[in-house]
Amino acid sequence: MTSALITTPSQRQSLLPRESLTWIFAAQLAVLLPHFTHLPLWLVGAWCIAVYWRLEVFHGRREIPGRLAKLLAVSLVVAGLALTYRRWFALEPMVALLAVSFTLKNIELVSRRDAMLSLMLAYFLAATLFVFEQTIPYALYGLFCAVIITAALIAQHGGSRAGPGRALGLSTKLLAQAVPIMLLLFVVMPRLGPLWAVPQNTAGASTGVSDSMSPGDFSNLSKSDKPALRITFDGPLPPPEQRYWRGLVYTHFDGRRWSEPGARGSFANQGSRSERPLPAVGPRYRYQVIQEPTHNPWLFALARPNSESVGVRETSDDTLIYKMPISNRLAYQVHSWPRESVSGSKTLSVWEQRRHLQLPNGGNLKARQWAEARLSEGLGAEEISSRLLALYNRSFTYTLRPPLLGKNSVDEFLFSTRQGFCEHFASSYVFTMRAAGVPARVVGGYQGGEWVEQQEYLLVRQYDAHAWAEIWLPQRGWVRVDPTAAVAPERIRDGLQSAAAEEFMQDALLPLHKIAFVSRLRLQWDMINYRWYQTVVSFDAERQQGILQRLLGEVSPLRLALFIAAPVLLALIGLLLWLNFSNRGPALPPASRLYLRFCRRMARAGIARNPAETPGDYARRVELELPRLGPMALRITAAYEKAAYGDDAGAEKQLRRLLRGFWPIRLAR
Amino acid sequence: MFIKSANGTGADVGADEASTKKIRGFLFGKRWSPLFSQRWRRWLGRRLPPSQSVTLDHRKLFVLPTSAGLGFLLVIFLLWLLGTNYTNNLVFATAFLLLGLLVVLPVHTFANLSGLRLQLHETLPTFAGDYAQAKISLSATGKRSREQIRLAWPGEEGALVDLPGETKGSTAGEVNIDLPLVRRGRVRAPRFRIESRFPLGLFKCWSWIDLDIEFLVYPQPKSAGPLPYGASAAEGDQARTWSVGGDDFAGLKNYQPGDSLRHVAWKQYAAGRDLYSKEYASGNDARLWLDWDLLAGRDVETRLSNLCAWVLDAERAQVAYGLRLPGKTVAPGLGVAHKQRVLSLLALFPVQGVSQ
Repeated sequence: MTSALITTPSQRQSLLPRESLTWIFAAQLAVLLPHFTHLPLWLVGAWCIAVYWRLEVFHGRREIPGRLAKLLAVSLVVAGLALTYRRWFALEPMVALLAVSFTLKNIELVSRRDAMLSLMLAYFLAATLFVFEQTIPYALYGLFCAVIITAALIAQHGGSRAGPGRALGLSTKLLAQAVPIMLLLFVVMPRLGPLWAVPQNTAGASTGVSDSMSPGDFSNLSKSDKPALRITFDGPLPPPEQRYWRGLVYTHFDGRRWSEPGARGSFANQGSRSERPLPAVGPRYRYQVIQEPTHNPWLFALARPNSESVGVRETSDDTLIYKMPISNRLAYQVHSWPRESVSGSKTLSVWEQRRHLQLPNGGNLKARQWAEARLSEGLGAEEISSRLLALYNRSFTYTLRPPLLGKNSVDEFLFSTRQGFCEHFASSYVFTMRAAGVPARVVGGYQGGEWVEQQEYLLVRQYDAHAWAEIWLPQRGWVRVDPTAAVAPERIRDGLQSAAAEEFMQDALLPLHKIAFVSRLRLQWDMINYRWYQTVVSFDAERQQGILQRLLGEVSPLRLALFIAAPVLLALIGLLLWLNFSNRGPALPPASRLYLRFCRRMARAGIARNPAETPGDYARRVELELPRLGPMALRITAAYEKAAYGDDAGAEKQLRRLLRGFWPIRLAR
Repeated sequence: MFIKSANGTGADVGADEASTKKIRGFLFGKRWSPLFSQRWRRWLGRRLPPSQSVTLDHRKLFVLPTSAGLGFLLVIFLLWLLGTNYTNNLVFATAFLLLGLLVVLPVHTFANLSGLRLQLHETLPTFAGDYAQAKISLSATGKRSREQIRLAWPGEEGALVDLPGETKGSTAGEVNIDLPLVRRGRVRAPRFRIESRFPLGLFKCWSWIDLDIEFLVYPQPKSAGPLPYGASAAEGDQARTWSVGGDDFAGLKNYQPGDSLRHVAWKQYAAGRDLYSKEYASGNDARLWLDWDLLAGRDVETRLSNLCAWVLDAERAQVAYGLRLPGKTVAPGLGVAHKQRVLSLLALFPVQGVSQ
């Protein structure tokens, strides 16, 4: 009819109505909003410009850009991407690419097809959010995105009546109906491993214990109450003073900073597990560690650890390391043996010896002299160590706000300021021990943890970060020495909060940790998070097998098929019932129902009532065609008319009685 | 009730252009071999026999995903890949949620049409080369509202209708759908398509309905010049009426104010009779006859088209007209009923068998 009119360009621009556009832009905004944190700023600006342009087109103030303008926009954006991201095979550029395609599609959002394409893209982009974050708030936000996008889809097909409330309501209803199927599939669908190597999220700044330690690093960590580890034990739990979660060792000292060269890329060049035999006795502690993303490869465990988890490897320094930086929460199983029970070689190689005795060429002369003085007194390694610890105990203070140290940090700390945090104690201790010729190293990790009663896991926070020392004793091997314990034993026993009560979390905007109720609430929240991680995020093939086994008894194809088919069948039956029920009109009055029964019986006898025939006409026709049934039909019809229109209760009873004996098939024969 | 007339809003037009093309190809078998399309039509005829009123149910409705639905499936597959490669359970959950949506949707699309009763209300006659219109009433019991239902003949835009759910437990509406017709006569309408993509456009549910619709199509009016006043020869006296304004004296009539003084019959007035005025008339048949024979030399369809144009002209000029066809004559008259009678005669004029 008006096909010529439709194809004119001026008409085409208005093909998508205003509600439709608004919904699409709302869905895009909802999806892009959490990505704004890592998308480059110019992309956000480009998206805004594209939306503005499209709205201008809608108002008729501008034209849809021509081919040249589009080409320009595409080349600009591609150039922008190339300049922003040097590496293409990474997660962020891929998400940015999706966001770009959104943006470019917006300026030529013309037909309903374009709208559908844009919304399909939105679904995908909404899901990519989970590659970055898998916490409960993000999951809820993802669900919210799904509702918005589905509502936008509904608005594309809704007529003029589809207001925002209705579209949202319908969308919520549809998704709610999809949830049971989702749960079923979530449990049943087999999980394959990764099909090919994918880029991981690498942009996050590394957090937690880093690969070097300078004065002040650990006191910075103590300002954060973010969770670092959650540890569940299968069996006995180590006492508080044994909870040293070793992350990595620092062997190289440059006068100020302790570091571990090659700590980051050491997965490949560490010795394989078979080189270090495990003791024949069973491990003392079995536990699972769930580690928050750190963007560092090292893991945390008690000495001496061994892990069967995929991608986890043991190093020669008795630490665990993962095959790549941890960008998502990671769960790993660890078995730990106490060091004494491990029968290893009790000698250090020359290379190891040199590594653990390294000292900078000059500086910190007083500390060196102190060590030499002790040596000349003829003391052994253990005596020197206990002298040093006694010194700490006598005249040092443990504080979160130590005074700043100059060039000779060890000397200044040992002989003038005498106030410090764990890293000062560990650093000066190891320096002095090395100066005395005892192989020693600094160990970084966490110490302690809060026991969460209901869930029975140990919650280790960032402020539990700790540095301590290990020295080599020829008879015993590596022995842990914690100089902090000599100064502030409560730090080791009860944690930082009791050791540095006044200073603890002083920089926090709100001193929430001081309110018991809030602390409890936060612990509750952590528990919910933990449970979420345990049941949803870390659900894997193994757990799946377990659940199916528990539900089905044994996992056979037949039982699995039944497990899927039974709910589907139930759902289908429910749906059919609903359809049937919702198609039914209002209930008819009893008289009409009785009369319809009469009509059905007559139809079976060969005379069906025509659609528009009045009961009276019908009865007369029956009389004409089947004279034997005539009188009865007339009486029934009369009773029906009286019951239906005369409000006569007696007539209804009579109608019922008449019908009871009225079987036209038998009578007509 | 909201009826979006097909040529009213442009919003729905573009997207469905392609699909209507598909429909045309589908029904008329342009894509498929003629043999197959014939079989398909026979099968439809058995499954959905023509009937004055049709209630849609699972036997009559078909549900399939649209191309957008297939795109949605692709998105789900990509999400599954993403979830597998990143071993990310939340991405899996999203993929499964969307898959669940895909499972639930056809039921909703189906429910939107199921239980709907279609009935032909009336058809309006039309001229060939124009759009014939059928009024179809839609009704459904139950409280559910029925939305975004499109009724269209193959190749046509059709009409979109929404039936709002009412608390009374039933809902009803009426919709006009247009069919372009080229040939005159009694035309049996083909099956029309009733389709809905509610709620997300990922599935379509449709049926091909034959409501036994028959259109009366008048010939296409083609102008044959001005109306043939008096061109037709008179047949016998009783058919001959004098029309006013000729040259021959026809008689006297009572004078009425406004009659020309030159026509006053002064002779009779002088003789003492009333004032009369003389009437003159032409000698030909003054009534308007639209005669088949006037259009000799043209083919049958052109003749009928010309006659049709004359009928419309005469009706517009409010001049009584009669029709002479071989073997049929309609006495002159005016008015809607007369026009319809004349036009139906033209419409149903046999295509063959009439020679010069």
